[in-house]
Amino acid sequence: MKTNRILLGLVTLALLSCHKKPATKTLPCCQKDGAVAGMASQPASGSTSIYQLTGTWTDQHGKQLTLNTLQGRPQIVAMIFTHCTSVCPRVVEEMKTIRDSLPAAFRNKVGGVLVSFDPDRDTPVQMRLFAKQRQLDEQWELLQGSADQVRELSMALNVRYQKLSGGDFSHSGNIFILDQAGNIVQVVDGLNGNVRNADSVLCRLLR
Amino acid sequence: MKIVNALMVIICSLAPLKNYGKASPVNGKQHPGNSVAGMVRIPGGSYRPFLHRKDQPAVIRVHSFLLDINAVTNEDFLAFVKANPKWARSKVSRLFADLSYLNQWTGDFEIGDDKIKHSPVTNISWFAANAYARWKGKRLPTQTEWEYAAAAPPISTKKNARLTRIILAWYDHPNPIILPHVQSTYKNTYGLYDMHGLIWEWVEDFNSINMGDDNTGGTNINSFSCAAGSLNSADKEDYAAFMRFAFRQGLQARYTIRSLGFRCAKDDATITNL
Repeated sequence: MKTNRILLGLVTLALLSCHKKPATKTLPCCQKDGAVAGMASQPASGSTSIYQLTGTWTDQHGKQLTLNTLQGRPQIVAMIFTHCTSVCPRVVEEMKTIRDSLPAAFRNKVGGVLVSFDPDRDTPVQMRLFAKQRQLDEQWELLQGSADQVRELSMALNVRYQKLSGGDFSHSGNIFILDQAGNIVQVVDGLNGNVRNADSVLCRLLR
Repeated sequence: MKIVNALMVIICSLAPLKNYGKASPVNGKQHPGNSVAGMVRIPGGSYRPFLHRKDQPAVIRVHSFLLDINAVTNEDFLAFVKANPKWARSKVSRLFADLSYLNQWTGDFEIGDDKIKHSPVTNISWFAANAYARWKGKRLPTQTEWEYAAAAPPISTKKNARLTRIILAWYDHPNPIILPHVQSTYKNTYGLYDMHGLIWEWVEDFNSINMGDDNTGGTNINSFSCAAGSLNSADKEDYAAFMRFAFRQGLQARYTIRSLGFRCAKDDATITNL
């Protein structure tokens, strides 16, 4: 009887989860080609552009900006915190590799965006320092926002994270390729990513 | 068939509908000065998370906070949509809600079926729930707050109505076609209704769960691996909690599901002023 209950429960859960596709790490890059072709400068109501999020962020130069100012060119985006010693440095290196692997003519047509999980410690000064340490050029934006904004962006990107008791964060390490309008066109695992694939997606966006 | 399903839920839920509309906090520790209509103050305490990392404390301190007595209803949510038409069914952005958003309603500003007016609003995304909460000057409860408040035992007319039994009975039954009203299951010792047995509820940080594929060390799921094989009473509680965490793990913020709704929380003014 107890076993039956467990089984029933699991079936219920299976039904619930079948209703929706579980979180996936990698989207097939061809799936969103339509979105690329139908790019709009202003997100329409059917749009999945993350530039619809309205919060104001502060970059590494202390400049205030909203996410929609990033539109107009493809962006390589990840959420990190600068005190991270394990995942984030590798994610940032992977993002640099993606950009560096592009043909020279395309390289400066693609931006890099790092959004911090850690508004308390990742001030503009700290972000500027981090950009220097990681040799990130002026095509990069390093953003600090409120805890609510960070949570909201993580929801839009389907990034999972948790603040730990020591002040660090446990988080997933995905890299997002956004088209010119802010739609996610590819998700790359920042630790075992297929950089070549991300490059071909970016090339297609820029061609 | 619909009626049978609805009845099954009502039968297994142990408390009759007659309390509807008479919610009143029963917790003696409540500070009347802080109470907001329809909310109850949940006193602070400690909480042992079901999921915890080996490098994290096993017991978490929870500050006192305010929580809605009831889940947000279709009628409540309609007022929000009327005031904020960009959240209407046909207008909502696909970033913020998937295709089944509010599909129990008959139109953008019409619930249609009066029977669900006082039922929890479901088919609601995290973004929509969060926007509603902000509009109310509230917020979604954190996962810790929700679990802490939901762990309180029922005040029930029936003797021996144990929480785990209510939860497991709910898991056993299919979702009713017509969702019963709020306050149709049970009231807990904080004065909260339907924390289990009616719907699943969004929490602010449901995406903090990362079972298994964590890049930075992984999460330790307390004793679940053996729970399926040997069930004592503690394992049963773990199993009930596991279902909630597994459910949340599978969610994305734009998903809308027929059995998933929400209620709002608020900081306790006496704490924030300290």
